[in-house]
Amino acid sequence: MIASLDELLGRPVSMRSLALLRVLTGAVVLLHLEPFLGDASHGETYRDAFHEPYAAWYPELPEGIYIGLLWLAAVAAVAMSLGLLTRVATATTFAIVIYNVFLSTTHFHNNRAYLIIVLGLLAVAPCGRELSLDAWIRRRRRLPTLDRSAPGWPLWLLRFECAAIYGASGLSKLVDPDWFGGTVSWQRVVRARDDLEAAPLPDWAVTTLTDPDFHTAAAKFIVLTELFIALGLWWRGTRYAAVWVAVVFHVAIEASASVQVFSLLAIAVLCVWAVPSTRDRVLRFDPASVRQRRWARVAGALDWLARFRIEPAAPGSAREVTDRDGTALRGAPAVVLTLSRLPLTAWFTLPALLLPPVRRARRADREMAVAPAG
Amino acid sequence: MTTRRTLARRVAVIAIVGLQVALIARGYWADHKEFAFQMFPESSTWRADIVRVTTDGRRIPIERPWSGYRWDELVQDRGLSSPSIRHHADAGLDNQLAFLDAALDWVADNTPRDRETRYLVARVTAWHNDDGPRLEIIRTARREGLG
Repeated sequence: MIASLDELLGRPVSMRSLALLRVLTGAVVLLHLEPFLGDASHGETYRDAFHEPYAAWYPELPEGIYIGLLWLAAVAAVAMSLGLLTRVATATTFAIVIYNVFLSTTHFHNNRAYLIIVLGLLAVAPCGRELSLDAWIRRRRRLPTLDRSAPGWPLWLLRFECAAIYGASGLSKLVDPDWFGGTVSWQRVVRARDDLEAAPLPDWAVTTLTDPDFHTAAAKFIVLTELFIALGLWWRGTRYAAVWVAVVFHVAIEASASVQVFSLLAIAVLCVWAVPSTRDRVLRFDPASVRQRRWARVAGALDWLARFRIEPAAPGSAREVTDRDGTALRGAPAVVLTLSRLPLTAWFTLPALLLPPVRRARRADREMAVAPAG
Repeated sequence: MTTRRTLARRVAVIAIVGLQVALIARGYWADHKEFAFQMFPESSTWRADIVRVTTDGRRIPIERPWSGYRWDELVQDRGLSSPSIRHHADAGLDNQLAFLDAALDWVADNTPRDRETRYLVARVTAWHNDDGPRLEIIRTARREGLG
């Protein structure tokens, strides 16, 4: 068992999803720092008002140096996103963000805890070898490309943390009779009734949302949704559904509560659930067709997780995608499958994979692959 | 053969997973639930009448500025800036009251121009979810160095 664990942790996997997460997290860090930098620009820091150090020995810096450190974190976050001196930039960002959060109990929020976890794991993962200025500079200098795969343990840990957060949240509500019974969500909505009535919602919606019976069912739905995401992410058969539900879940939270950077970060982290291998699907297009050339260009530009190898096909061919298992799709089903594998379009197109024509096309090709001689 | 790197990797991963599980468990009893990820845990609410008790025994609400200080400038975070108004306890009642307790101590310790306040006391009314109100008194220690 220990040998299997060691093999899993050391197995070389693509770092592409972590590279993409690094790019996105830099922007999230800037949003996280914005209130601290805003106060600092008015000459205010945490020290000017109530704060509570975690420990008396925790080092506090002179105000000028502290503010300088916050700005350094912002610069490091930009460098981290761009992939410039990636390892140093990511480690610097992580160190300053964690230092700042632990300066006071009042700085701590769940979204910041998640940010610390993500930054810590990005700092130890070699995720600057692609989607980075570092890689571009190496190419310009004609230096050999660095291996884009690395031991998978930071990726597995990030997956664990991602699932643990949904699991911990869902479990705490499941074991709390007030939450699971609907009291907590009902009372929260009732207290926000004025906001609800001011929102462009029909009367029946407001009445339903403030009905305790509705919350008796809705609370269970919320809890089970969180637990479904936590567990569903682990299995291939449910992973796409879990990711899709997670996005809806975060959009709903963002619309109904103030959670700082939590929604953005949590949606960004979902990319770590992509299979950690790259260019193992093939997208073929007819180079003689303007539309297909455009299609290949768009798909290539949006393929942030490097899912596809894009190759020219014989003139007159239809658009074609060959999936990992060898299933080949042509025409509209190929477009749907491709868009469902691109981060920006996946959420919109994943449900279309359930449409009968797409399912028929995938099934038919698989059956042909099993019995090619007919 | 297990290399040093393999061993370090194994230990690091097991330690992080173990620590995360322990922190999630700790969230069920700790006031501050760092890394426990209990989101929107309660619909509880609270309010508090906070007064300064002066050396001559007067009880002065903190809504009145004193010695050049204002409560809402001293305490700006965690929903504590206007305690007399009934608020939602965002991260749970225990967490909220722990912050209120710490804020009272901080104000008592960080208002050097105030030479008349002996201590601060908060009369807290708290409603845990849909339970009835419960009263609680939180007070600071006597301030040192007053005439």
